[in-house]
Amino acid sequence: MSSAKSISIREMNKFYGAFHALKDFSLEIDAGEFLVLLGPSGCGKSTALRMIAGLESISDGTLMIGDQDVTEVLPKYRDIAMVFQSYALYPHKTVGENIGFPLKVAKTPPAEMEAQIKAAAEQVELDHLLDRLPGQLSGGQRQRVALARAIVRRPSVFLMDEPLSNLDAKLRGNMRAELKHMQSTLGITTIYVTHDQIEAMTLAHRVAIMKDGVLQQLGTPKEVYSDPNNLFVAGFMGSPPMNFVDGDIKDGTFSGEGVAVPAPGLADASGVAMGFRPEDCQVVEAGKGKLDATVFTFEMTGDQTLVTFRFGNNPVVVKMPNDFEVAAKTQTGIDFDTATACFFAQSSGERLR
Amino acid sequence: MSVSFSKPGLFEPRRIGEMSPATKILLYSVLIGWSLFVIFPIYWLVITSFKTPATVNEGPFFIPFVDFQPSLHAWADLFIYDAADTFRAYFNSIVIAFSATALSVFVGSMAAYSLSRIEFAPNLITILYFVVLLVGAGVAIGVYGSDLWLTLAICVALFFLLARAVGRLYTVRLGNGDILFWIVSQRILAPIVVVVPIYMMFQSVRMLDTHIAIIITYAVVNLPIVVWLMFDFFNSIPRDLEESAQLDGATMIMTFREIVLPLSRTGLAATTLLVMIFSWNEYLFALFISTSKAQTLPILVAAMNAGERGILWWTMSVAIIIMIIPVVALAVVLQKYISKGLLVGAVKG
Ligand SMILES: Nc1ncnc2c1ncn2[C@@H]1O[C@H](COP(=O)(O)OP(=O)(O)O)[C@@H](O)[C@H]1O
Ligand SMILES: [Mg+2]
Repeated sequence: MSSAKSISIREMNKFYGAFHALKDFSLEIDAGEFLVLLGPSGCGKSTALRMIAGLESISDGTLMIGDQDVTEVLPKYRDIAMVFQSYALYPHKTVGENIGFPLKVAKTPPAEMEAQIKAAAEQVELDHLLDRLPGQLSGGQRQRVALARAIVRRPSVFLMDEPLSNLDAKLRGNMRAELKHMQSTLGITTIYVTHDQIEAMTLAHRVAIMKDGVLQQLGTPKEVYSDPNNLFVAGFMGSPPMNFVDGDIKDGTFSGEGVAVPAPGLADASGVAMGFRPEDCQVVEAGKGKLDATVFTFEMTGDQTLVTFRFGNNPVVVKMPNDFEVAAKTQTGIDFDTATACFFAQSSGERLR
Repeated sequence: MSVSFSKPGLFEPRRIGEMSPATKILLYSVLIGWSLFVIFPIYWLVITSFKTPATVNEGPFFIPFVDFQPSLHAWADLFIYDAADTFRAYFNSIVIAFSATALSVFVGSMAAYSLSRIEFAPNLITILYFVVLLVGAGVAIGVYGSDLWLTLAICVALFFLLARAVGRLYTVRLGNGDILFWIVSQRILAPIVVVVPIYMMFQSVRMLDTHIAIIITYAVVNLPIVVWLMFDFFNSIPRDLEESAQLDGATMIMTFREIVLPLSRTGLAATTLLVMIFSWNEYLFALFISTSKAQTLPILVAAMNAGERGILWWTMSVAIIIMIIPVVALAVVLQKYISKGLLVGAVKG
């Protein structure tokens, strides 16, 4: 058994032939932290995770686990447990044998092994299924076996590659809560890969957002949500995502077609996108808000109502209470607190501060 | 309007999901006819083995005890008077089939495993001048009588020099798919094409009529099949499983023993049986390579066709029967694997 360790990734790069899959990736992860790697499919999350696990070589850079440089160390000496998206259960071994495999490899005495398998299985509520084969389990149960196999050994680092993506929505919600609880009880440093921003928001101590092999922003879920560094992060976080309106900044004022909003302290710039969150705005009478737009659609989600507008070429979504109603094609005003608005340069995507 | 349910006709099924009576009659007549056609030669073989030369020549007789009196004459011929020959051929066949199968399955599945797990990227140019040097060395030694070791040393040196010089300039790389195709393509050529070179090779190293020669030949001939079948099997085992075992601290050998081997057991069994049957039945290579000591069963059977006493139908039948018994047994086992659907897609969820 080992205690949680910090992870330090310094300028890590991955090349697949000429293809640069991971670019100068640097990240400091505290011991016991739950870090989520978030990004769209194909952005290099799995690659980064597999490099940390030692399943892919590190083309350039340094990887430290604890105070040990493990850049060139074989996976089995890194003291890491990984949960694969496919779960990677051994189909010919029973649930008990699957969970016990890391112990068997470590030549744990049989009595001790049995006790630890039982303890791990109880933790994920599988103790009644130890004699089944993976093929006889449901998706959720398989997921739990994979988890149990990861925790049975008490590694110093957990790696999880989209572990919940094969579950249905309801189960995913439950497992999310259980995972979070388990991680905080065990206190094991965890890196969790997902493309689902809700998973990232709910699970993470800190979120690292990636795009095309480049780290875009690192911060707590609250930080990356309310204070995005660039256009990509702003558009990726939140469901529905942030609204954008095109315009220019001149003399501390952002102005576009039919909209003018103060942008205090910002230098003059053209080709600016102003972003504001759907929950930060309200539908008001035409002419009384910051901008006027025509209602395009109107969706009930149960706990709230989403009103989508057309404003210029951009859709603008407003979150309203669930008793709100409006007819399509109505011209209304949209009001929002200008302090919550963010401004981005269209060309580079960078935030203007 | 009322719908009347009349009794279904001859061409309509009695129940959903069943065949109509007409279809059934037709199907079963065809099946029975075909079975008779297939089974009759075997029946003919069995009764012939119990006939005396006289009954064979006066025949045709079909029903034992009615048409003719069965006799153990042929069986006695083969197992008492010619016992030494018979048992030697049987023993040879067993030794050769088992050894050749073991060798080709062992080597072939290792090749298949590495092909399914490692990305190879040999340089086409390197392969080309390797072949050129090989041919050059052969000509120099064989035709011009150069010194063997000196020529080899020069070729090795040239190879590495060229590899450094030319290998950097032209990098047309082959992939695993090309290698696999190359291996499988070795089976495209008819065996008759290579049988003479193989004969000459074994002749020049004085290994004709030995078990080893036939075992090596069979193993090599069956290698492409083993690689091809096992490559598919190993490919169907997800890599995640091995990676997970690796992360859990398992060594390469342990991963192979605990994960890969159990999961490919059905594939190995099926491949082994298939290769075993091929080796058991092989005739052409055995005919060329063996003359007496290493003769296998198929050669023994064929020899009965050409003796000075004419064609010995009766003893030939006996020999064929004892030869096909193990194959039928293997086929039954193999059929079990195939019908269980274990031959393809061995690993699922
Ligand atoms: N073995 C490989 N060879 C070449 N390219 C690869 C390999 N593995 C991944 N890639 C590429 O690297 C990029 C990142 O892949 P991956 O890390 O799997 O993305 P994801 O963020 O969806 O997990 C993708 O464009 C993928 O095509
Ligand atoms: Mg991935």
